[in-house]
Amino acid sequence: MMLISIGVLIFVDPGATLDAMIGASTSALELCIELCAVYAVWLGLLEIVDVSGLGQKLARLLRPLIKKLFRVDNEEIQKMIALNMSANMLGLGNAATPMGIKAMQALDDGSGKANFSMIMLIVVNATSIQLLPSTVISLRSNAGSADAADIILPTLLSTIVTTGLGIVFVLICYMIHKKLKARRRRP
Amino acid sequence: MSIYILPVLFVALFLYGFFKKINTYDTFVKGAKGAISLVVSIFPFIACIMIAVALLRVSGVTAFLAQILTPVFTFLGIPPELCELVLLRPFTGSGSFALLDDVLATYGADSYISRCACVILGCSETIFYVATVYFSQTKVKKLYYAIPCALVASIIGAIVACLLCRVM
Repeated sequence: MMLISIGVLIFVDPGATLDAMIGASTSALELCIELCAVYAVWLGLLEIVDVSGLGQKLARLLRPLIKKLFRVDNEEIQKMIALNMSANMLGLGNAATPMGIKAMQALDDGSGKANFSMIMLIVVNATSIQLLPSTVISLRSNAGSADAADIILPTLLSTIVTTGLGIVFVLICYMIHKKLKARRRRP
Repeated sequence: MSIYILPVLFVALFLYGFFKKINTYDTFVKGAKGAISLVVSIFPFIACIMIAVALLRVSGVTAFLAQILTPVFTFLGIPPELCELVLLRPFTGSGSFALLDDVLATYGADSYISRCACVILGCSETIFYVATVYFSQTKVKKLYYAIPCALVASIIGAIVACLLCRVM
């Protein structure tokens, strides 16, 4: 992807290549500094959630769902996924990320291959289960909308469609994948 | 109303910690400490994906792709003006919000196109960014069907979003 873009740039505007790369890297660094501040707040609060035993309670509440959907039996990982999903639903993507990374690390079996739970976690996160699209609403009201919040209902409905379809696709692909593997194993 | 939710939750959390007799200050500090090492370890991945996106945009590859894909988008019922937005959304959060701002300014905040753009952004996520960051601390190299599943679901979500905007 990078190769194609640079290839095109050589013909179009060779001088812009390095500028664009360094500019992007600078904004990545800026983003990381911002993320560092955001993560510090959330990780601090999450540690309190964890130590006070609130995390366990939340995990116990969501356990049936998590067990069915992600097929995870480990309580520690269930807790991380519970926190990750709760933060996502509140529209706090940045609070969800550290928990998601930790859950992924704990799910990693070192084989270099993603397992079912990891794939499900990434798809649920990547299809967004936001209940309140706050950034979009604020941008829209800044642009002078008469009723900036009237997109909430359609957004909620399409989010349910997206996440639901994502989960269904993963289940279908998982079954196909398992069948193919079984067939390959047979001589 | 929603602006009160978080502060109230925070107060409740600290009170709960106090009630459970844990040292909230020490616990908070211990957790916050992890932020720097986490960000340091995901920085290279974020930098790489942002450089790739910047090159795609500056070189005009995305604009070109958007032009090619216009008939496809029209067929799917997504306004062709939103091609670039839909194409960039899986890669960059800040970039797609900047594009949304452009759309809002160009077509007016209450137009059909702008409402579609808002709903599409609200129901989708930065798939590649999420996958890169989440897997950055694991040894996983093979993702199998994870990305295609999320992408196809998001595209169908975008089509549904535009349909809903027409009736709602």
